[in-house]
Amino acid sequence: MEFLNPAALYSLLLLPVLLIAHLIRRRPQRVYFSSLLLMREFAAGTSGVRSGVPPIFFLHLLLLTLLLLALAEPALTSRAVNIALVLDNSASMQAVDDGQSRFQAALAEAGKILRGLPAGARVDLYALAPHLARIGEAGLRPNDALKRAAALKPLDVGEGTVDHGAELSQLAREGDYARLYFVTDHPAEGQSTTLRVITVGRSQNNLALTSLQVERAGLDAPRLEARVEVRSFSNAEEKFQLNLKAGGKIIATRAYTIAPGKSVDASFDAIPAHPFYEAEIAADDGLPLDNRRFAVAPPTDGIKILAISPRPGGLDSLRAIPGVEAQIIAPEAYRKGNFAPHAVEIFQYSAPAALPDASALFILPPPQNPLVRVADGAASPIVTGWREGHPLTRYINFSLFRPSYARPLKLGPSGQAVIDGVDGALAVALEQDNRRYVALGFDPLPFLGQRNLPMSIFTLNLLQWLSSAQTPALTTGMPLNINLRPGDSLFRTNGDKVEPQTAALFQGIYQVGAGATRYLAVNFDNAAESDLRSSTPIRISEAPGADGDRPLAALLSPYLLAIALALLLLEWFINPRPAGKAA
Amino acid sequence: MLPPPFSADFLNRLEVLRLRTRKEVLSNRPGAYASPRRGMSLEFADYRKYSPGDDPRYVDWGIFARSDRLYVRLFREEVDLFAYVFIDTSASMGFPSPREKFIPACNIALALSYVVLANHDHVRLHALSEANPASPFYRGRNRILDLIDFTAMLSPAGAPDLGASLGKQLKNIHRPGKAILVSDFIVPPESYRHALNLLRAFNLDIATVQVLSRVEVDPPFAGELRLADSETPEELNLRWDDATRRAYRERLERHNRELKSYCHQSGIRYSLYVSDEELSDFVLKTLPAMGLFK
Repeated sequence: MEFLNPAALYSLLLLPVLLIAHLIRRRPQRVYFSSLLLMREFAAGTSGVRSGVPPIFFLHLLLLTLLLLALAEPALTSRAVNIALVLDNSASMQAVDDGQSRFQAALAEAGKILRGLPAGARVDLYALAPHLARIGEAGLRPNDALKRAAALKPLDVGEGTVDHGAELSQLAREGDYARLYFVTDHPAEGQSTTLRVITVGRSQNNLALTSLQVERAGLDAPRLEARVEVRSFSNAEEKFQLNLKAGGKIIATRAYTIAPGKSVDASFDAIPAHPFYEAEIAADDGLPLDNRRFAVAPPTDGIKILAISPRPGGLDSLRAIPGVEAQIIAPEAYRKGNFAPHAVEIFQYSAPAALPDASALFILPPPQNPLVRVADGAASPIVTGWREGHPLTRYINFSLFRPSYARPLKLGPSGQAVIDGVDGALAVALEQDNRRYVALGFDPLPFLGQRNLPMSIFTLNLLQWLSSAQTPALTTGMPLNINLRPGDSLFRTNGDKVEPQTAALFQGIYQVGAGATRYLAVNFDNAAESDLRSSTPIRISEAPGADGDRPLAALLSPYLLAIALALLLLEWFINPRPAGKAA
Repeated sequence: MLPPPFSADFLNRLEVLRLRTRKEVLSNRPGAYASPRRGMSLEFADYRKYSPGDDPRYVDWGIFARSDRLYVRLFREEVDLFAYVFIDTSASMGFPSPREKFIPACNIALALSYVVLANHDHVRLHALSEANPASPFYRGRNRILDLIDFTAMLSPAGAPDLGASLGKQLKNIHRPGKAILVSDFIVPPESYRHALNLLRAFNLDIATVQVLSRVEVDPPFAGELRLADSETPEELNLRWDDATRRAYRERLERHNRELKSYCHQSGIRYSLYVSDEELSDFVLKTLPAMGLFK
């Protein structure tokens, strides 16, 4: 005989409580009476309060024992019991509760479950992040599963928006598991005979570094500036120290106070040049993982632009922009491929057949272009709207922004309008595969500097935004689209080689190729995981026929419950009830 | 406004009653009760030889005609009654609650007192407690209000010895009369015998009313009990079942039988009142039947 839920056997420790309850119940009730004169004689004749326990106690003992044994789900089965153990190894499991991480607590709970399984049980071990997948081979023995689980580490990856309850129920059905244990930091709602959720961790306050941007102060400015955003997932006002590091050394530090649920923006100007930077919050909060964030320095040399135009003279003014190196060619030359790779390509009155491999600007593209549809043009268009906060619209006074001619753009399946006119968009931006594309329905060139300040600012915004796509922000859990050349590998800053798949799971700075100067910053970025105050509950519903696959005939619980019910009825008949309350 | 059960009808019916005494009483005021002294009533008592100075109206001229000797007729003196009503105020009288035992006992005492007051006799209430308070003598039916006020001040408490308390009260009694003792008498026989003997020694005509609550007659207990005495720290562990209930009832009946037997042997009127009975029925039917009233 085996127990499918052996942890319930600990409840047998409750049996002495029954004895105590009986002894307390048999303690005589204290009642006042006018005079005991008449009771002394026959009180001596009776035995007074009887010692020991009554026979009904043994009936109660048997009844309770049967119920507790039924909880342990004894089963007479010769076949191996299939158990699935799913460990939540997402980023929030790195949160520390009382000196122990949630993942360590989850491992302890998993140990309890696995050690309590019968010897013949077979365990399939699953990890939740980055997606639900089995660890090791199927049908592990409990001890082997325990060793496998102990070797797991929580990833720097947040959970997707998957309905874990449905996903795990489906896994339990497909795997024909007698029990599926899910150890996580999410609470559970609902009940299921198969799916058991064991919740670890508690609500905590947390601060998170949600952004670190290192940019050049201007297109030709060698100075770098860093902008940091810290967000509070706390119910109380918090104080913290923000450190900016370069090369492992603190280059700037500041102290802040942040209100509950608010965010703080910090800006560090004129920071020394370094290949990569790290921002760090020195605070005693719940999740250490999101207290660090990494960024790679932008290239310090000028922007190399390949300009393609049937009228190359119109692009000459690009060369007047400080920090810009422009190579201007005709569309025919572009089609022949007679050019070196550039960071940014500008197509004026022309367009390639497909989106180029570099970030690109399309100025008044022809109708046959891969980005937008172009309508008929009109003179002196009016700007009716623009996207606030977009890098392209920063610092521009749109009341003075007056292109002389424009052709409205119709949005394609992707992209977003940045500047709107009366008849359609005047500027459309698209980010795709770490590249940025902009289509303009007007011509911002020639670059006139201070003579047309709004348009000049817009042009500089364009060039800066397009060029900054070279250092894309990479997020853990997302595929690393870094176009590794054959033979290239990723290395940590300490020289350890890392597979790209692994690098996508842990935040940090990675070097592309040994000794190379190209760096990647991979950061954890998941507000739901950083918010440790409340976790989304896992909704469990009993799937129809969930019990149908289980070896019901081998389970003894129904029989134990039936016997307990019979004993309960017997107790109902034979247990004398007090006739009334004493005076 | 009199408290229940002293309704106008009940009081009217009490006024037609008069306490019966087995003994002659002493007093200086004319009344309706026989005195050992010779007096001016209509009831003939004896003859005495004529002495000079006797009132010739009392000379029995028939005897003089037959024997040629002068005898004068003597008559009984009839005086008013002094009644002493003793109320047991020990803690046991408050069980299970004063409303269920002590107040009914006080009402019996007040009803008997009203009978005395309505006949223009004297009555005085004595509380048998450690402080031993007693009311003044009252006379006249209106003084029932004073007696009600007196009983309202009483509350059952303590465990005074019945005989000792009674002895202290009797020190202040100088006239023989009617003594009525209202108590539960759940005390050792020696104790109530001592108390009743004290009353007898003072040449009082004694009546006892035993007051018990229904809970004492038929305790509604069940199961294992730790019974605590209301007057002493004594406690008893008991398993209250049918056998125990039977044994208790037999013991109570034997105790009451012994009390009644002792009263009978001592010339004391005895009656038992269980507090859930109608008070008017007890006073107007049971007590007359036992000869307490004329």
